[in-house]
Amino acid sequence: MKKLFMLLAVAIGTLTAQAENDDYPYLTFETADGAKISISTASLTINIQDGKLMAGSMELTLADLSKMYFSTSDETTGIKEVNTTTLDESADIYDLLGRKVTKDQMRRGIYVVKTKSGIRKVRVK
Amino acid sequence: MKKLTTLIAALVLTIAAGAQTLNVQVGNVTYQFPASQTGEMTYTNGETLTIMGKAFTISDISSMTVDDTKVTDNLVSIAYSGTSATVTVAGNVAQYVTPTISGAYVSIAQSNTDAVDKDEITYQLSGTTTDGQFALSGSYKCTVSLVDVDLTCTTGAAINITNSKRIQLSAKKNTTNTLTDCANGSQKACVYSKGQLQIQGNGTLNVVGNTKHAIKSGDYISIKNLTLNITGAVSDGINCEEYLLIKSGTVTISGVGDDGIQCDLGGDSSTGEILADEAKGIEAHDGEDSGNVYIEGGTINVTCTAAAAKGIKCAGDMQISGGDINVKTTGNGKWDSDDAETKAACGLSCDGNMTVSGGSLTLASSGSGGKGMKCDGVMTISDGTVTVVTSGGLYFNNGTTENTNYNSDTDRISSSYYSSPKGIKAGVKSQSTYAGGLVITGGTVSVTTSGRNGEGIESKNYLNITGGQVTVNSYDDAINSAQDLTIEGGYVYAHATNNDGLDANGNCYIKGGVVYAVGSSSPEVAIDANSEQQKKLYITGGTIIAVGGLESGSSISGGTCKYTSSWTSNSWYALYNGSDLALAFKTPASSSSSGGGGGPWGGGGPGGGPGGGGGGSQQLVVYTSSTPALQSGVTVSDGTEYFGGMANVGGTVTGGSSVTLSTYSGGNSGPGGH
Repeated sequence: MKKLFMLLAVAIGTLTAQAENDDYPYLTFETADGAKISISTASLTINIQDGKLMAGSMELTLADLSKMYFSTSDETTGIKEVNTTTLDESADIYDLLGRKVTKDQMRRGIYVVKTKSGIRKVRVK
Repeated sequence: MKKLTTLIAALVLTIAAGAQTLNVQVGNVTYQFPASQTGEMTYTNGETLTIMGKAFTISDISSMTVDDTKVTDNLVSIAYSGTSATVTVAGNVAQYVTPTISGAYVSIAQSNTDAVDKDEITYQLSGTTTDGQFALSGSYKCTVSLVDVDLTCTTGAAINITNSKRIQLSAKKNTTNTLTDCANGSQKACVYSKGQLQIQGNGTLNVVGNTKHAIKSGDYISIKNLTLNITGAVSDGINCEEYLLIKSGTVTISGVGDDGIQCDLGGDSSTGEILADEAKGIEAHDGEDSGNVYIEGGTINVTCTAAAAKGIKCAGDMQISGGDINVKTTGNGKWDSDDAETKAACGLSCDGNMTVSGGSLTLASSGSGGKGMKCDGVMTISDGTVTVVTSGGLYFNNGTTENTNYNSDTDRISSSYYSSPKGIKAGVKSQSTYAGGLVITGGTVSVTTSGRNGEGIESKNYLNITGGQVTVNSYDDAINSAQDLTIEGGYVYAHATNNDGLDANGNCYIKGGVVYAVGSSSPEVAIDANSEQQKKLYITGGTIIAVGGLESGSSISGGTCKYTSSWTSNSWYALYNGSDLALAFKTPASSSSSGGGGGPWGGGGPGGGPGGGGGGSQQLVVYTSSTPALQSGVTVSDGTEYFGGMANVGGTVTGGSSVTLSTYSGGNSGPGGH
């Protein structure tokens, strides 16, 4: 039994190390002004239409983009504080897996909020 | 414990599923970029996305997805399905590959691959289409891998590679692949490669060439491992330039309209064989343009039915060191208007030297004038097994009249007008110029010809036998040389039903070995030299049995020659050298009438040898280094069989009765056989 655990530990350790090297849970987009938005790579589909890039629930203007890259962490920058009013104005809220949630369902984490004034990424502390 | 196992399994799966791949879809082409390789992917003016050096026009991108697809570096997959095809390109080579797809016609331009040259791009073809193609252009080495692909092209070649670099065409293990091109097209072959073509893999590749060749390379072709079936071609089964190398595998060629395999020179002059030179960093065949064919192993089965077709033909040398080679030609000869002469079918044919140092060759030719193997240079057989059977008759064609079973005398017609069937032919004679030759130092050679004028083994220059076992049963001369014929060793059986057993148009030297020669009726003899041109038969050693007598005026030394004119056909005799058994031999099934009862030196012409009184039977002459003695009607057991059962060496002899032999005193002269 002890040997089994050791063997499994080594195997898992090896796989973990490998996976850590290859695992990129985020695809980060960077705009010309240096702002970054990271989105989950899980089952991610990106469509392009009319000068827009739709990544999951995100919609980005192609002309604004300078680069994108896979990242191991959420590198989202330029997150703006949003108040209750803003959230009240929001039409749709999505988590990073692209699931639509309600305001009450929001827990700690990153969310994409589509408001009348535009799409924003918000962090709930 | 069960929970623990489940937990660990789930954990492992979770961890293993971590790698991401970005799939960029452009029409029917998917580019797959592993997340670990992409680095920064740049957008330019909202119009261009560049990933790993591959610039995409964004408006061309159908979609991008991220999943956990495992990407194999350097791999480009082409999957055919009905009338369409999809292409998947590994990200690390995306920048070097530009696919164009129209229906199931896939054309790929490959540019610089410096970054992956140590592990070249592999194009993997799979699926089925009844109207598609794979075309590749560029100038870098690559592999075309076949994985259960069935590709038929209705407008050209199934695979058309204009890349002039080395291409590996690999039929993958446990896969069966079929390639078929269109009829009446302009393509050179169903599978065409402008550059070097290495055909390999452990799978099966079936090829049909409906316009010209089945497989054609503008450079060399090498073959190993795979099972290659060429089931049809309008012209050659395999056609290449520079050289052909078959290392292993099974190659079967049938249904071809011309030669089975043909190798030509690429340029105007031959480099000859390029040997490896480690000190200079030169590998074997590097830069070689020799027109040579090298067969080192494998099984090769070739069947040709066309007139004057060759099983395997080359402009240079043919070197066979291994393998199991079976070639069958059935075509008759034909008139070649360009050369204004007849041409005949042949199993193996080369313009240079031919060397057999191993392997097993079985060559059968049934067409009129057909031959087993021939070369214009020197043929050397040092090992292996060579079996040749020709059954076709004498071919005649003067450009206006053809006769596939010509029965008239050929002495008074141009040699350009007829082709005689021959088992083995080496060298070239042109008026008074002799070139090439034939040397047998080992191996087992068996030749049978049954058609009119069918010589067994013929050299148009010298012929030397120093070893091996040579067995010839022929219609015309069994073993013939245009110049000197020398036997110094080995076991030689030469039985002609309508001419000489051994026939030298120069001197004939027998210095050693065991020779059993049977000639036809007078004026033919068992062993002949060109005494009409002041040439002579010199016997200085060996063991000789000659049924039909020796050339008149022979020089006998180093032993004793005796003969009898009374012997029984189809019976076993024991030949002793003094008191030692030399060998046992079986007399011919029938004895031709000598018609004159001359001595052992032929047809009783002036100065014929002693003995006389042949009683209508051919003379049976024996020679050994000491004093020969014969025992007739013996029973033989054990030992080793030679000459297809006509002799036994090392056996045990019992019974029989002593034969009275007459002694040849030598010094005679006179005309002998032709």
